[in-house]
Amino acid sequence: MAVLEDDLTLVFTALADPTRRAILERLSHGDATVQQLAAPFAMSQQAVSKHLLVLERAQLISRSRIGQSRPCSLDEERLAAAVGWIETNRRVWADRHDRLAAHLETL
Amino acid sequence: MTELTFRRIHRATPELLFDCMTTPAHLAHFWGPEGTTTPVENITVDLRPGGAFETTMVNQGDGGTYTMRAVYVEVERPDRLVWRDVESAMLTTVTFVDLHDGRTEVVTHQVQVPAPMASPQAQSGFLTSLDRFDAYVIEGARP
Repeated sequence: MAVLEDDLTLVFTALADPTRRAILERLSHGDATVQQLAAPFAMSQQAVSKHLLVLERAQLISRSRIGQSRPCSLDEERLAAAVGWIETNRRVWADRHDRLAAHLETL
Repeated sequence: MTELTFRRIHRATPELLFDCMTTPAHLAHFWGPEGTTTPVENITVDLRPGGAFETTMVNQGDGGTYTMRAVYVEVERPDRLVWRDVESAMLTTVTFVDLHDGRTEVVTHQVQVPAPMASPQAQSGFLTSLDRFDAYVIEGARP
């Protein structure tokens, strides 16, 4: 697994907020500027910028350094990595319980 | 959405299952993930709140090791066992539910502290991969 657990904490924390999830959904349709992202929400651009910082820190989005508008784009690989970690964890517990069931048979 | 739940029903009493989860001699038989073993001497169980729960898993292929370090938060035989992973702050709660027919449901619930996910209302039409976070409520095979 390429993603460290500390990074996953950042990802899960970022995903915990409905506004940030809505921002990610918007970005799944294409890149957008802060102004464009703020439009559907009853909040200031500053408030949206704070959410973008959390998403950027979790590396769920990246922001262009070009020009004043600095459009945001979604990092789908990162999201896929988090999902992959969950699948791996589920497998570990499934295998563990398979072996526990076999162990119980011997008692 | 960070609340990961795994359920499994075993033909055993809550007491026996609790003991299996907390006794190195038992754990050595089933703890290590597929392709690894966790020898009994690699397991530390100090069964009290604040006590250590540590396992060093050995890869059967290359002999590499991975150590999980956790601290028990709650120890209530035979109903409930809670530990917190030292590195990731993942809190794991194992609940043993007596089904009163010789079977016990073991519910393993994991939550990444401090980020309990908000309600899923805002997710409609969201990314497919995100939907899979919600799908992580796995019903184990029911014997």
